[in-house]
Amino acid sequence: MMSLNIYGQQLDSRLLIGSALYPSPQVMKQAILASGSQVVTLSLKRQNPAEQAGQQIWRYLQEIVTEVNGHLLPNTAGCKTAKETVTLAKMSREIFQTDWIKLEVIGDDYNLQPDPIELLNAAEQLINDGFKVLPYCTDDLVLCQRLYDLGCQVIMPWASPIGTGKGLMNPYNLETIRLRLPDATLILDAGIGKPSDACLAMEMGYDGVLLNSAVALADNPVLMAKAFGQALQAGEQGYVAGIMPQRQTAHPSTPTLDTPFWHQP
Amino acid sequence: MNIHINGKAYSLGHEVHISVSSALTLHFIEPQQSTFAVALNGDFVGKADYDTTLVKNGDSLDVLLPIQGG
Repeated sequence: MMSLNIYGQQLDSRLLIGSALYPSPQVMKQAILASGSQVVTLSLKRQNPAEQAGQQIWRYLQEIVTEVNGHLLPNTAGCKTAKETVTLAKMSREIFQTDWIKLEVIGDDYNLQPDPIELLNAAEQLINDGFKVLPYCTDDLVLCQRLYDLGCQVIMPWASPIGTGKGLMNPYNLETIRLRLPDATLILDAGIGKPSDACLAMEMGYDGVLLNSAVALADNPVLMAKAFGQALQAGEQGYVAGIMPQRQTAHPSTPTLDTPFWHQP
Repeated sequence: MNIHINGKAYSLGHEVHISVSSALTLHFIEPQQSTFAVALNGDFVGKADYDTTLVKNGDSLDVLLPIQGG
């Protein structure tokens, strides 16, 4: 299968995975490795450096990306304005030594829906500052188009609100974005609940899937991580193989020529 | 003067201003050993500017470290 292209970086796995909500750091590491993902998301928060918990997680994540020859993808979770987002992105770039940024600008606390106005504003500032922006956005075609026009080579529309596990709420919207932005790298981000959701996205021709809760909150995160890796491969192969068109009426699979005696008048 | 670091208030007597480097020593045990980034009043301050950027009365520093994220 073809590789995933993120700003010219070719990756074998089409799964991007989060590092939050796991039962323990050990399970987090096992699950991420089992997923086959080469891109791991993380964040920044206020902490006292004397406290060791954050440093331990940081060491684990460094070990993981080294082991899989992967990449860290810092996010701007918690930001609500372009100004906050740009500041946090610059802080992330200094710490993680990457110009990749998963752009999150939340406009509503109830469903964590991105603010499209602030998102565009932040994306423009960050692109002008040399960042490679991966914006998390709603499944609005025009918003995705505007982000792409600004220079976002990767667009990440949501499947459904973060952490809901509701899967693909609006398949028509997502298919339309794929159709209208054929050259963009499209990654479905947020709301994925089960492996078949990820498979469906890949069958639509999406380039990848970013998820966290669906693996971290599974009864067995390591096994679920494997399942998602396989689901993405199945969906991608199905898309590449060419899915048959739907038909309105039934067509017998078995040849009707020389049917047995009970069909004779 | 009074400043805040990660929301915690610090009173520094009659100082007019101090550098970001000095302010960080109020909050850290060994700041050189840690992975962190700093914002002053909501604006990013790069490590190269810690010694020359001044923190004044009423200012607020944010010191952020890596955590898990989705």
